[in-house]
Amino acid sequence: MAVQIVMDRTGDTRHEFDVADSNAVALAEERFRQLTGKGFRAVALSGDGSPGKLVDKFDPTVEQTLFIPQLQGG
Amino acid sequence: MERVRGLLRELLRRALSEHGREAPALTDITIERASGRFEPRIGAHFANGYCTWAPVRADDCYAVCERYGAWDLPSLRRALLVEAHEIYGRVCEEHLTEMARARARRSMAAAFFDRLRRRVPMGGREPAGYARDAPEPVPDRADLASRRQESQRRLLDWWAQQRNDYARSALFGTGMNADIGSKRAQERGVRLLKENLTVAQRRQYEKFGYFDVTGGMSGKRYRIRHGRQMNIEQLDRNGRRVCGWCFFPQGSLVSGDVMLGQKIALELYEADALRIANRF
Repeated sequence: MAVQIVMDRTGDTRHEFDVADSNAVALAEERFRQLTGKGFRAVALSGDGSPGKLVDKFDPTVEQTLFIPQLQGG
Repeated sequence: MERVRGLLRELLRRALSEHGREAPALTDITIERASGRFEPRIGAHFANGYCTWAPVRADDCYAVCERYGAWDLPSLRRALLVEAHEIYGRVCEEHLTEMARARARRSMAAAFFDRLRRRVPMGGREPAGYARDAPEPVPDRADLASRRQESQRRLLDWWAQQRNDYARSALFGTGMNADIGSKRAQERGVRLLKENLTVAQRRQYEKFGYFDVTGGMSGKRYRIRHGRQMNIEQLDRNGRRVCGWCFFPQGSLVSGDVMLGQKIALELYEADALRIANRF
């Protein structure tokens, strides 16, 4: 199982999908495109707190993808 | 009598304050007659050659003469020496007690600075050669002085930080920097943050309410404090604040999410983040 974590007002929303399920993978890819299209940054989390990796293209093999909204200056 | 005793006490205290712990032995008390425009004076002489003087009046000595039946100068000197020895013993005791008190106060202050040094580690890292549980090596004088200076600097830094935090909370406490979202949302945010901190960062965050991050591009150190805005500081290699940076992910996110977004931004796209950020 892979998971897409989207930061939002509720803390985060998690979308889990089975990488063996092509429909679920297609939905996950669509979500990836929509979110990155809105300016979210997709990051493949390392799981141990070390710096992850920026993801430009959808990769179903990434276990945890975090979507961070666009930054703004304060 | 009290007047002479007061004079002797003053002279003996003066000698002790000059010599500190190494109190010299009292050898003699002398009285000099008035000469010219100089008043008569009484002097205390010590074994190391030190002597100290104070003006004295004839009627001050009258009580001593009467008490000891000393009606000539050598007898008066002997009588004064007896009195002075008695007073000197008491004054020495008081002096030693006061020194012990001062030493205790200094060690309390040193313990306070030591606790402060342990509580505020250098940018989250232990100073070189410093092990928390290991017995401390006996420092030399120069080392003590530098440690004292370092502790004082840390105290000032801490004080400045408290002042800044207070000012920030007063300015933004009800605005962008206050925690928003439901309690559950905040807990989720903090949980997500902690899941993505290293062990050291998590420990630091839980203990101090901030964690340090290394910029992925520049290698600079940043400190992210709990908050949503104006909560990033750039640190120099000694852990001192260089400047503050303000940026955060859009969308009224809870603190945990904001801090995680800031950490990842600094680690993975530092240049983009700092281009957007405002420096303060």
